[in-house]
Parts: sequence; structure tokens; C-alpha cells
Amino acid sequence: MYFRLNPECYFVRGEKCGAIFDLITMKIYALTPQETKILTSCEKNNQVLEGLNFLNELKKLCLGNFYKHKTYIQKLRIGAINEESEVIVPLGFYRAFLEINNSCNRDCWFCGFYGIKRSLGCMGCNKWNENDESLTLERWKELIVELKDLDCQSIWINGGDLTLEWDKTMDILDYADGKFINIIITIHQQSLSEEIVKDLEKKANLVIQTEFENIPEFNRIYSEDFNYLVVVKPENWKDSNEIASGNIIKDFVIEEKKDLENLPTRVKQNFLPVTLDEFLNNVEYHPCLGHSLSIGYNGNVSPCPIMRHYKFGNVKDKGLYTIFKESMVDMGRFWKLNLDEIKKCTSCEFRYACTDCRALEESLTGGLTDKMLCNYNPQEGTWL
Amino acid sequence: MLEFKTSKGNMYALDYETGIFIPFSKTMKAILNEISNQKSLSKKNVIEILKKDYDEEEIAFYYDWIKKWEQIRVQNNGSKIPQNIRASDIKDYLLKSGLNHLILCVTEDCNLRCKYCVYSSSYEHTRNHSDSYMDYKIAKKAIDYYLSILKLGEIYNPLRRPSIGFYGGEPLLNFKIIKDCVEYIENKYKEYETQFTITTNGTLLDKEKADWLMDHDFIISVSIDGPEEEHNRLRIYSNGEGTFNDVSKNVGRIMDVGYEKIFSIPVFDWKSDLFKIEEFFNKKDVPAALTASQVDYWAKTRYYEQYTKKDYLNFQDQLKKAKIYYFENIDYQRHKEKESFFDCLVGQTPGRVLFDSQTIIPSLPIMPFTGSCIPGRKIFVDVCGNYHMCERVNESFPIGNVDEGLNFEKISKLINEYVGQMDKCPSCKIKKNCNRCFKHFMVYKRFLSSSKVCKKVYSLMKDQFVDIFEIAEIHPDFVDESNSKHKNIKKYYGE
Repeated sequence: MYFRLNPECYFVRGEKCGAIFDLITMKIYALTPQETKILTSCEKNNQVLEGLNFLNELKKLCLGNFYKHKTYIQKLRIGAINEESEVIVPLGFYRAFLEINNSCNRDCWFCGFYGIKRSLGCMGCNKWNENDESLTLERWKELIVELKDLDCQSIWINGGDLTLEWDKTMDILDYADGKFINIIITIHQQSLSEEIVKDLEKKANLVIQTEFENIPEFNRIYSEDFNYLVVVKPENWKDSNEIASGNIIKDFVIEEKKDLENLPTRVKQNFLPVTLDEFLNNVEYHPCLGHSLSIGYNGNVSPCPIMRHYKFGNVKDKGLYTIFKESMVDMGRFWKLNLDEIKKCTSCEFRYACTDCRALEESLTGGLTDKMLCNYNPQEGTWL
Repeated sequence: MLEFKTSKGNMYALDYETGIFIPFSKTMKAILNEISNQKSLSKKNVIEILKKDYDEEEIAFYYDWIKKWEQIRVQNNGSKIPQNIRASDIKDYLLKSGLNHLILCVTEDCNLRCKYCVYSSSYEHTRNHSDSYMDYKIAKKAIDYYLSILKLGEIYNPLRRPSIGFYGGEPLLNFKIIKDCVEYIENKYKEYETQFTITTNGTLLDKEKADWLMDHDFIISVSIDGPEEEHNRLRIYSNGEGTFNDVSKNVGRIMDVGYEKIFSIPVFDWKSDLFKIEEFFNKKDVPAALTASQVDYWAKTRYYEQYTKKDYLNFQDQLKKAKIYYFENIDYQRHKEKESFFDCLVGQTPGRVLFDSQTIIPSLPIMPFTGSCIPGRKIFVDVCGNYHMCERVNESFPIGNVDEGLNFEKISKLINEYVGQMDKCPSCKIKKNCNRCFKHFMVYKRFLSSSKVCKKVYSLMKDQFVDIFEIAEIHPDFVDESNSKHKNIKKYYGE
């Protein structure tokens, strides 16, 4: 008798343990070392010699079934496994961060200007310690067209304080209207006004940058119509559980290595469900950097808004497509930095379901492929 | 569902809405029957109805699984014949995803008279040999147009590199035009990194020409069918003499210098000795096989009239033995240095069927049925400067010319006519796995309907699926190796 997982259930092994990913229900089943051993043997098409109770349990969960003979299970996937040369197929470029300006009159303690390490610094507003000339409105408009032509599906507009150049920002948004599936814009809570909210209506999804310590004020402005990016200091991490909600994104400040023990970003309890698309994407690409790039206020093109020290080129004087043409090998290094390439993650069974901020990891560890922000030890199969 | 059963007794089905093969069983079939009659039936109801004949646990499992699987089925995908496919949509698509090769037919002349040649009188709807040569002006116009339209497409697909091929007849009969074209491109379009290819019979590939082709980094595809006896049986000069020795000498010179971009493109028929061919292509001094093509029987040919039923049965027997031999020696096949004839003929088929089909996602709206490309993916230019969709189709469907460029209206009309004839496709059970294209339906200036052409398609495909799953049941790792992109998923399985 043989046991095999269903087409929609992928079995991924780590060094010690394995996990089953049901890509229809989006559930993840973490296995013990013994269960991992049994299922590994089954998935290698060996006869069932042990673990009948465990396998029956999997059958009841509708994850797999018993077969009289050796059987082949074709795994669920999307589209053809395109083996065509990458010099022929279109890019698969899905997301761009557009940093419209680098001006701000505030002096927020968590700003990128001070090199504060945040788990989602890319989504927030930042003023950088740079004094380059900004791209003109006309160039931004051209870039909107270039992004559309390259099939970019989602743009994330941030600054600086965009309200200091609101006319320019609105011109860009008007121009981008209808060209992308998703347009997101980040504005600091203190810069918001009713007029601004009204201007953005139906043009972009608003993300309001705020911080945990502003909670009283935050409660005043809170609306389910917007998303909130809330910066949380280490001392407030536990308290921040109070503000759990679907439209609140917590942006954890990580100042020192010792903070990591309590960091709630990557623990067993908050593993996010993974879709079929995401899982298969993560098998090949980095979960965040893949298919994505950032265009700085000065035209510099980089892997993400935070990893500014990597530059693929500048769009001030050349088309974005030219940057792709000239620098795709460099870009590909970041896009294809899937978690099999990350030192710790490579031996982890959750590697195709996990998120990862390379910008933050690199700034904490100094290595592009090192990993610190994780409470799981894949060699031992234990959570800290 | 298209059901089939392997010799081990495993049942599978191709779910035509997702394009995925699923494990199947009698229990599952019975449940599907019940719930197709009455969709609201609960699991409890189904168990009650079927428990007399089937195991209750199995019924429960399959019921749950069917309900789960339904969540990803794309309902009504490709179930209607579209009314009008617009020229503008085709242009947009091609600028983004087409224009992959320009093929210049630099002459219709050939110094050989291969018995299976598609330009021989055995084929009803294709041109015959002629002494026409392409004029350089035509070639230059085609090149300028191709590189200019690629430039237009650069904003959509910046990584696409031009690929320009030289084809015939025998293209080396017009070697001067090849040299002129390459020099023109290398001078005028330096920044393009053009990849050049040539398909040649190899008889004229002397040292001077070979050195020049290698200097310009050509991918050289040579028609070599196998060892001397095999090759000379079908590939002959117009005086009837075999060409093997000349080809062998010329190709050997290229192999001797270690040039890696040279490949063989063998063709076989019912009289071929497949094992001798395999042995030949395993030799170190023979270019690796890139394809293994059977003499075409789609293009209205009388070629096979020369053979008897016994020939056909002998050939089928050989094919069967080839498969057995290949998989009995699977470890050797997996680790050998270069691709052989049997790799193309036998080894690559399971991977192609299992991983090349467009699963889950809907078909392209501009080509909802069959595995056809969008004309303009390749541009085949005949000696007079007319554009055709590829070198394998007859010339009665031009898609433009060197003066006007690609004619998107014509392409749109062509696709609409083609799709209009695909009457069987909306309800076809293998539509997501279909590998048929224009050439299978094309006669002179019109297309045959899919209900006519695809009469035996289910039984043919079922046979192929059974073959593939029988291999996959025994050699799952070998089959999964065809999907190199997912190799890391199985990391640590081996411990």
C-alpha cells in the first residue's frame, strides 16, 4: 500500500522537519521529525511501512490518500513551466515604488534620515540624507507610461512629505489613474486634511503613516476606509497587540540585536497563509524583491526604497526599459534571491511561505544573504 | 474528465477545466455522477446513496476532495468561439510577446532531393523546388522592418534579443546574401546582440563557410538523419547519390574545433532503424540531436503511400522497444553528456506533456483554442519578400510583406477564420493540453474544422497519457527533472 499527497498539497522538507502546504485551503501543516520521515518515504513512492494513524489523519484532512500501487501525482501549478529563454519572454515586472520627493518639514525620530531600522520602512515616508535634484513632473509622467508599457501592475507612491508638493503628486496620480490595478500612496498622519483625503478618493488607496505613541490621536482619525502603518518601538511591541485589525500594518522598530527575542514578526503564531500564486512565486523568486523595483526621487533605480546603496541605473536621462536591458543581470540577482539562497532559510521547511525583508536583514547582519529576524531554528525544528 | 488507466491498475483523469491530471477512482466517478445530477447533495446524502457499493471512508474523502478541487476550476473557460479577435489586440500582443525570430528563406533552390522533403511533389499544399533566390534588397528590407518593430516593442519587452535565421532550400547556396546580411546588421545595428541561426543540409559547409559561421557565433542546425545507411536512404543529391560522406566530413571539422553551437535535426520514417540512429547520435563527434521529427503526415502527403501496414507495425514495434530500452537504462540516460536521439524521441515527452500545458489560467483571448502561436511570433520571409507565420505552413496565408510589414488586419482575419473552424474545441476534454496548431488544420487557403481533424484525438491522447503515467509511476524523479524550476522543492527528500 502506498500513500500520496493530493495534487494541491506540496510537501516541503527542511533539514529536520517538513510541512504540508495545501494550496487550495491555504493551510500549512507543520510536521514532527517522525511524521516528516514517514511522509518523505511516502512521497518517494515507497510502500507504507509505518505511521498508519498519521497517514489516516492526513486522509481525513483531505490532504492525501492511499493507493494500491505506485502512483504519480502531478502537482497543481499555474500556467506552463516556461523553459523559454529569458531573452524572449516579457519581464514579469509587477510592482514599483515611486518616491516622488525627498522633502519634509517634520523631524520624526523613526525617519530613514536617522537610519532607523524598521520592519516595513519601505512602505512609510522617509526623508533621506541626500540632496540630489528631483525628477521633474514631466519625467514622472513619462515613467508612468513606461511602467504601464512594462506591464507593471501596482505602484506605491511615497515621499518625503508628498503634501509639500501636492499639485505635482496629484498630477502624477491623475496621470496614473486607470493604468494600474493598484495604486497606493503613503501620507503622514499630520499632513492629512479632509481636502487631501477627498482628492485621493477613487484615485489611490491611502496608507496613513503614524506611530504607536500617537494612539489617542490615532483613534480620533481612525477609519476603516484607510490603512495605517503604525511604527512601534520595542518597548511597545506587546502593547501593540491591542490594535490588531486587518487594516493596521505594524512597522516594528528594531534597534538592537537583543530586541529580536521578543520580536513578533516571525513566530509560529502569525505565519500568514500562502496562496498558490505566492507559493509558486516564492519557489523561484524573493517574496518581496521579486518582480519589484524602486525609483528614487532623484531617478536612481534600486531593488527597494531602503536598499538605496544598490543602484541599477538612473532614469533621469534614460528609459526604464533601458535600465532593464542594461542591468537585468544585477536586478535578477535580487529578484531571484529566493529563500533557498538565504543562509538560514535554505534549510527551513517554511521557506516558500515566509516573508523576508532583505533591506532590514542586511542592515542588521551586514550580509545580503544572512538572516536574523526569525524565531525558528530549522536545524533543530524548534521555535524560540 | 478524460479518464485513463495504467497497466498497474491506477486510474487517472485529465481535468479539462484546470488542465491538471488527477488521481481518479471508481468511487470518485460514482460521486461525480451523483453530484452532477443533483448539485445540492450533502456528503451524508452521497454516502447514503453509495455506501452499498463503495467504502464509506473513500466516499467521504473523495466528496471532500471534489468540493475542494471545485474552488480552483475555471468555469466556462474557452467554452465559446469568440466573435471577433481585433487587429489592435494582436499587434499589442506581438509587440510584447512575439517577434521572436525572423527567418529568411534565402533561396528555394536545393542541391539535394531528399525523399521526404516538404517541398517535393509528395506534398499537395506546399511550394515545389525552384531556382529562385532572395534578392539582397528584400533581405535588407525584412531586416530593417524586423529590427524597427523590435525597437518599437522594446518598451514592452526590453530583454528580447533579435534572432535572425537563414533557411532554404539550401541557404548556403546563397552564402553571399547571408554574409551581406550579417555584415549589414553588425554595422548598422551593433547594439542589438543579434543571434544568428542557419538550417543547412551540411553538404556545402566547407571550411571557409564553417569558419565564417563560427566567427559570427551562428547556431548551426544540420540535417543529419543518422549513420550512413540511414542518412543516405533518404537524403540524396539530385543525381541520387547519398550525401552522408560530405556532410560527415564538413560537420566533423566543426566538431573537431570544439564548437558548441552545432546541432543535428534528424528526421525518420517507418523504415528507419531507430536503434542504429540512437547509436550514431551517441558518438562524440556527432552534433547532439536537437529534435527528432517523424516525416510529416499532416500536410496532405502521399509520402507514406510507399509503405505497407507491415512497415507501420514494424515501426511501432521499434518505437515500443526504444521506450523500453530507454527506461531500462534510465540512469545512463540521465547522466550522459549530451542529448541523444532517444532523448528527443522518448525521454522528453513526459516532461513536455506534464509541464508545458497551460494549467489553471485561461487561454489567451486572441488564441482561445489549440496550441497555435500567434502569427508574427515568427516571421518567415519567402524569396519574394512575403511574410508567413512559419516555415512549416503552406504559403497560402501570407501575413504581410517587406513593403508593408506585418499586416495585423490579415493576421486578425486569419485567426478569426481559424478559430471559427474550431467547432469541437469549446467542449474538448484536452483543450488545455492541445499541441495542435495551424499546420494541422491548414489546406490551401482555408482551414479544416477541428471536428474533422481531431476525430481520433481522445484515443490518441489517452494512449500517450497512459504511456507517460506508466513511465512516471516508475521513474517519478526522472519526470520531475523536466521541471528544473521546481527542483528545490524536493530538497532533503534524499536523506
